[in-house]
Amino acid sequence: METAPPSDALYSEDGIDLTMIRWMLSLTPAERLEVLQAAVNSILDIREQNAKT
Amino acid sequence: MPKPDYVAILLVLVEHRVDFVVVGGVGAVLQGAPIMTFDLDIVHSTEAANIERLAAALESLDAYYRMQPELKIKPQASHLASPGHQLLMTRHGPLDLLGAIGLGHAYGELIQKAIAVKIIAGVSVPVLELSSLITIKEETAGEKDRAVLPILRQTLRERG
Repeated sequence: METAPPSDALYSEDGIDLTMIRWMLSLTPAERLEVLQAAVNSILDIREQNAKT
Repeated sequence: MPKPDYVAILLVLVEHRVDFVVVGGVGAVLQGAPIMTFDLDIVHSTEAANIERLAAALESLDAYYRMQPELKIKPQASHLASPGHQLLMTRHGPLDLLGAIGLGHAYGELIQKAIAVKIIAGVSVPVLELSSLITIKEETAGEKDRAVLPILRQTLRERG
């Protein structure tokens, strides 16, 4: 039997993804900074790869 | 461009006992906002002794103006004492030194609205509290800020 997805609102009225905010708020500030840094580094890696081709 | 290491930059500022407040995107992320930013924005005290400490920290970070990276122009004390914005590159990534933000909000005011946020064990830095960050961004909101403001407001609501 399939489990129904959680019925809590996923987005605010103006379309903001609430799951991302709740996930970020569940982290420590140091962990939040790591998330940002990893995201920035991934983008820079992709840019670098594209610049080579 | 060197890959940003925000913690490394902040640690150099702390080690040099620079008086500053983290503002902007990194300040918002530290408080739980899921947004993206590439540069670290700080507002620093423009008192003479602090400018000396800041200059030493920038020397240690190999900071230079990123507008003309090939010239590697280093910021001077007179630049750092101004209310203007110094957009720098360091060996740990971009660092924006802001003499004031919004409609002239400088260090003396902002430090009163800052909270201490732990970035690694035993080290905390002052970060402009999210509600103040939102208020100041609303004052002069350009397109970039207008795109981010709904996320910041929702983060504040979710935090309760």
